[in-house]
Amino acid sequence: MSSQHRRQPTRTTRLLAATASLAVAGLLAGCAGGSTEVNSDYGFVTAEQDPSSTITVWADASRQPSVEAFEAANPDIKVELVVDDGSAGGSATFQTKISLADQAGEGWPDVVFSTQNNDASWASKETNGVQAFAAPLNKGFLEDDFLDGFTPGALDPLTVDGTIYGLRNDLAPVLFWYNKPLLDEFGYTVPTTWEEYQELSDKLAAKHPGYFLGSVGDSFAGTYVYYWSGEAPIFTLDGDTFSSDVTDPNSVKVTELLDHMVDNGTLIQDSVFSGEFVANADKLVGIPGPAWYAGALFQNTESVNAQPGQWGTSAPLYWDGEDKVTGNVGGGTWFASSHSKNLDAVKTFMEFITSDEAAAGSGGLPAYASAADAWLAKQAESGFFDGDFEGSVSTAASSVWDGWGFPNFSVETAYAKVIVPALAAGKSIADVAEEWQTEMENEAQVAGYKVG
Amino acid sequence: MSANSSTDRRRPQQSRASAWAGRIIAGLVIVFFVLFFVVPIIWLLIAPTKDGRELLLSQPFAVGGWEQFAENWDSLVSYQGGLIWTWLGNSAFYSLAALVLTLVISVPAGYAMALTEFRGRRALLSLTLVVMLIPSTALVLPIFLELSAVKLIGSPLSVILPFSFFPFGVYLTYIYFSTTISRDLLNAARIDGAGEFRVFAQVAMPLATPVVALVGFFSFVANWNNYFLPYVMVPGRKAPVQVGLAEMLSNVPQFNPTNVASTMISLPTLALATIVSVAPVLFIFLFSQRFLVSGMTAGGTKE
Amino acid sequence: MSNNTELAAAPVGVRQPAGARRRTRKPDSAQARIGAIFSSGYALFLLVFGIIPAVYAVYLAFTKNNAFAGVDNFIKIFSDFRFLPAVGHVAIYVGVWVFSLIILVVLLAVIVHAVRVRWLSTSVRFLFYIPGALAGASSVMLWLFVLDPSVSPVSFLLHALGNDSFVDTVRVDQLPFVLAIIAFWTGAGGWIVIMYGALNNISTDVMEAARIDGAGPVATAWYIQIPLLRKWISYMSIMSLAAGTQLFVEPRVLSQASKGVVPADYSLNQLAFLYAFKQSDFNGSAAISLVLLVVALGLSAFFVFRGGLFERE
Repeated sequence: MSSQHRRQPTRTTRLLAATASLAVAGLLAGCAGGSTEVNSDYGFVTAEQDPSSTITVWADASRQPSVEAFEAANPDIKVELVVDDGSAGGSATFQTKISLADQAGEGWPDVVFSTQNNDASWASKETNGVQAFAAPLNKGFLEDDFLDGFTPGALDPLTVDGTIYGLRNDLAPVLFWYNKPLLDEFGYTVPTTWEEYQELSDKLAAKHPGYFLGSVGDSFAGTYVYYWSGEAPIFTLDGDTFSSDVTDPNSVKVTELLDHMVDNGTLIQDSVFSGEFVANADKLVGIPGPAWYAGALFQNTESVNAQPGQWGTSAPLYWDGEDKVTGNVGGGTWFASSHSKNLDAVKTFMEFITSDEAAAGSGGLPAYASAADAWLAKQAESGFFDGDFEGSVSTAASSVWDGWGFPNFSVETAYAKVIVPALAAGKSIADVAEEWQTEMENEAQVAGYKVG
Repeated sequence: MSANSSTDRRRPQQSRASAWAGRIIAGLVIVFFVLFFVVPIIWLLIAPTKDGRELLLSQPFAVGGWEQFAENWDSLVSYQGGLIWTWLGNSAFYSLAALVLTLVISVPAGYAMALTEFRGRRALLSLTLVVMLIPSTALVLPIFLELSAVKLIGSPLSVILPFSFFPFGVYLTYIYFSTTISRDLLNAARIDGAGEFRVFAQVAMPLATPVVALVGFFSFVANWNNYFLPYVMVPGRKAPVQVGLAEMLSNVPQFNPTNVASTMISLPTLALATIVSVAPVLFIFLFSQRFLVSGMTAGGTKE
Repeated sequence: MSNNTELAAAPVGVRQPAGARRRTRKPDSAQARIGAIFSSGYALFLLVFGIIPAVYAVYLAFTKNNAFAGVDNFIKIFSDFRFLPAVGHVAIYVGVWVFSLIILVVLLAVIVHAVRVRWLSTSVRFLFYIPGALAGASSVMLWLFVLDPSVSPVSFLLHALGNDSFVDTVRVDQLPFVLAIIAFWTGAGGWIVIMYGALNNISTDVMEAARIDGAGPVATAWYIQIPLLRKWISYMSIMSLAAGTQLFVEPRVLSQASKGVVPADYSLNQLAFLYAFKQSDFNGSAAISLVLLVVALGLSAFFVFRGGLFERE
């Protein structure tokens, strides 16, 4: 071949080598670290502080009013709000982006909001040599006085080995909702225990077929509303060990309750957001559900669309003779970045956004006790709901069962994968309970937990 | 072309009957597939005229009302103060900028690989193919690291540059040039004394309108519809409409039940947002179809 | 016309007539230069956004925390309980998808091309293409409704196939077909446009000759048009193989629409995604991607060589 052609490969090789080394240099640069000493004031390794820098907040559209309230009350703190999807619907935005930022060694925000409440499970852990993203809050960063002001149990999902890694934005405890006119018409009383709930279902099935008492089609309903409220240890975490026991007496009780009611027709398999549910909403006699059913179902013109005074609330159901505990369906969380360059501003922000009455809860039940009381009082003013709204919700909020785990995977996926199709195929939950447990255990293993 | 007289006589009747049968079958096939592709779209177009309740309960093809449509439209454009327009603008900017860059680098490359011989031609072709087969999941992290190293994360370039790498388009161009332009044509120009660049610009390019339109169009659509790259690189106000749609989705109770809060988007509004997000692509397709499919019927290739 | 001495004197730009070839053709230097220059821009982008990331992915697949790990990552993914089911899912899906895409796209392109009425042809192509604009994230709500027999515009069809609820429609044994239908719905239109354009490139003389010879539309399609579309068809096969093995968007969309009934680890590419972003295991993710790549390469090699993709006229 001629000399011309011999030149080309060399040129190409040189170009390749140059770019490759540039890339490698770039990649390595990202791994350069700063100081590695734990800051004794805060309890974690802090980055170099710049008290005048802008803080970057990642939150979803529903939090924007709260963030704006903060900006109005603190004009000297510069906030850059980046609106995202809040990690909703399994998108895992928070975890995805922090994974990338960790690899690059830069690009972390200062504050993050997540609609999921199990993010502390991964955000509290160091990954691949990079410090855990979530800043520990009870090691000196935030005052104990402030942290004690949260409703008892609110910070449980965010506590790993005694260290609190985030703040709870709102609570979604499960209570019991009932349709007053219907109950009066049929002559029944509001059930207070699960046993009474099942009895009511038998009565309805016998005398008023077509009337129902809830739905198991939603993955959040079956798991959080029934199993968690029923104190069933199907999703527990102890340190790094995950365990699920569908044979535990409480688990069996819940399974039998659900199977019984699906059989007699008082529990439907359609989602509470489905056409079926909406079309038959006037036949719903009562339903255990989270506090946010108020806005999503009962006061929503596109859903149940209740009349004032038609629906009421009462304390959560419990097993006769057992602890009066309940479940919880959701509630967002705020995290502070351990890499933040303006921890003072972050502190002010975190405290304001969770406890200030103008911002706390962003439309739902705030997790901070004083803000919650104020919010409840305001809600009760309208008198829309029958019964003791404030009382029921407060009771529910402070009695969430602490035996539920918050590992880095959701309980809903296994339920959706195993139980929902089984029910649709005519099987009972008892039929597939073992399979369900195995699926959850497998997911735990893959997520890095030991199974016990 | 000697034809047997007896078969000649037979052919007209045979062919007329079978031609009609053929046409009917073809017609049925077309009708079936038109329905297949179009029915869900019709449903989607009707959806914004209903409210959430109607959407769940009424007949799929029952049309709602204009009032309801106006309400849904209002809901859409007032979301975050008209953010939908910002998203659309971002999408347009990223897609168009990337389109230009794509054409500039891809069309000459396809021409070169099809009609010139240089060392590394085969390597480029094979490497392009291999890279196209790599799952994009594997490429996200390295690209993120590269762009982060040059501090481009968050800037439009962090999407425009990766978008401009469009191996699919290069291959399209390569196949097009290698099947429709013959070397004789180019050699004729060369004999006439044209330099290589002239040969490309004045002989090959005028004949390349279809493939330029094709590559441009597909590049534009791929960039417009790309979700994950902009999701990672340019979140927030710089996001394109696909990422924005996912954000709106998170405010629909059906998809995000455990965090129903102050901002609620109903399903019909989401349907309207979906329509608005795809409308630009469809308009462009409508008006550029002519260029996309015109073949190079002007000879110059044979004899 | 030309002889060797003439050629020796004018080495630039003249192709030797076949009969007179005496020595091997040497690539023309001016052509080579312009070829290299024209490809340089693309080559740079290929390097930065294709090759370097690919090399990095290979590096990740064979290391763990920057230390060589041999095949540890591969062992880990192969023994993951989700791996084999995902392989099965993708295999069935690719089989259904590639097969139906090739056959139906060519069929539809040929038929639409044979339509003589211009406005009809244009509109039909447009209608076929519309779903292509609805790729990915924007179609979530569409499938939530279309696949639910209680609200779907095609509910009669769903009921006829024995589906009484959304959960029924997306059940595991039916899912590859549902996904293939969704992928076909969004992808066919674009390929039909490409094939249509390719058909337009077939000289009308050739078509005319075939017609005079008495070839009916089927014979013309089979013996004339399809062979001339060989490169395009093989390209489409490779691309659909690639898209099929990289199945990600459709199951993700359905997973969102069904709120988890369709699992988030249905396909191998989704599994790779989960490894990277949910388990912070970029090494395992790269290993899965490599496996996918090798499989796709193997399958494509068949089409490259059978379809003559690298040959030139």
